[in-house]
Amino acid sequence: MRGSVNWVAGMAIFFALWWLGGYFIAANAKTASFSGFGLLPTLAAFPELWQAGKLQSAILASGERLGSGLGIAIVIGLPVGILVGRSKLFRDLSNSGFQFIRMISPLSWMPIAVLVFSSWDGSIVFLVAIAAVWPVIFATAAGLAKVDPAWFKVARNLGANPVQMLTQIIMPAIAFDIFTGIRLALGVAWVVLVPAELLGVTSGLGYSIKDARETLSYDHLTAMVLTIGIIGYFLDTVCVMLIRRYSWHWSGA
Amino acid sequence: MSNNAAVAAAAPAASRFAGFSYNASTFVAGLAILFGLWWLSTWALSLNPATSRFASFGPGPAFEATWAMIEKGQVQKAIWASSYRLGAGLLIAIAAGVPIGILIGRSRWFRELSNSPFQLMRMISPLSWEPIAVIVFAGWNSAIIFLVAIAAVWPIMFATAAGLAKVDPAWFKVARNLGASSRQIVTEIIIPAIAFDVLTGVRLALGVAWMVLVPAEFLGVRSGLGYSIEDARESLEYDHLMAMLLVIGTMGYALDSACLALIRRYSWHKQ
Repeated sequence: MRGSVNWVAGMAIFFALWWLGGYFIAANAKTASFSGFGLLPTLAAFPELWQAGKLQSAILASGERLGSGLGIAIVIGLPVGILVGRSKLFRDLSNSGFQFIRMISPLSWMPIAVLVFSSWDGSIVFLVAIAAVWPVIFATAAGLAKVDPAWFKVARNLGANPVQMLTQIIMPAIAFDIFTGIRLALGVAWVVLVPAELLGVTSGLGYSIKDARETLSYDHLTAMVLTIGIIGYFLDTVCVMLIRRYSWHWSGA
Repeated sequence: MSNNAAVAAAAPAASRFAGFSYNASTFVAGLAILFGLWWLSTWALSLNPATSRFASFGPGPAFEATWAMIEKGQVQKAIWASSYRLGAGLLIAIAAGVPIGILIGRSRWFRELSNSPFQLMRMISPLSWEPIAVIVFAGWNSAIIFLVAIAAVWPIMFATAAGLAKVDPAWFKVARNLGASSRQIVTEIIIPAIAFDVLTGVRLALGVAWMVLVPAEFLGVRSGLGYSIEDARESLEYDHLMAMLLVIGTMGYALDSACLALIRRYSWHKQ
């Protein structure tokens, strides 16, 4: 109860400060042309964008790219992470190369991605995937390193077969870490998605921002920025809920 | 007797040396595998006539181009321009993030009221601020510094708050009972206690800032690592492009390792 009251009160303060800022921008003759940045024009822009179908199509396009990129990152990151966690040789040999590639800023791959993939859509999915794969790999490996080897012994002594070992021991043990990794991956993918959409494509949230700026419709611009924040917050919250659901570190909590 | 002592002293030193040389050899072997795979894949490209024009993506041309660009001073200039933006952005993020983080860690009211708007603003992808930053700030340089700062401030803020939450309140009592002034409490208790967490936050912030810096430099400016990549792409100089990727990876790795060394230096968790 106290939590949700403070949640609403915090948001109310935030929007009040925004409204106040917009009021001063509109009141000053020098900055009046930027009054679209205020809270009220921004909120008024939402029904416009919705009726024009721009909001839905931008969310759909970005959602598809984000989903495919994260999906690829998870499909590659999980097995590689298990390999890093289980094999000391692989971990020691892959470490320097992985750290080096990890620190190549994802958008630097853009020119290569555009050459390799025939479409801009494919390149953006690649950029999201290469940014998001590292947290998945390292979180999976860290989770596996924490699994007590005695559990495997106990399970084997009680007659567990390899399938049961995977479903009853490994998956419940590292689900928490995998979701923590996916949450980090989502944050990184979100950072990369918008600049990737500023280049080349004509759909998605990043493009909508560029489009609003070029047409000087500042109310649409802030509406899209707010949309990005709301969707990001929503996706992050879903990840946090999944992490809590699969947490066995503080059992009962 | 003295012989035994010498042996006992030498044993950990020897095993430390063995550990070091093992780490160094796997480090070198790992990079060798990476560059070997890179060479192999571009070699395969050069065999196929349809893709042979992409042979300059290989490690040989990339290293040659790196050397040529260092001799011409292009690499140094790009590193200098990007470092200035990265450093200024990170400094602003630290200057804003640490005090706000301390406020979050110390005041329950502030923590609960600020949580929802901070989470919302944190999830606004940093580059979305770009059109607004360009309008608010006069130069592209300051707009880029703003983008780096707004991306980097969140990890520093939340790491500082988390660090402060872990500080045992008894320490403040003990320090006060022993006659510590409030200045001494800050310098002798709070700073050593949260240095580890602040630096962990700075490392995360550096990673995000590094991701934001390159796309921010694609737009508007004519200097820095991001611009060099854009420039190499437009002039179809693939060897220069790969050279810049090498420079970005190396510099990022060096900065990340520096953060890691600082974190280890200020860690009191496992001592």
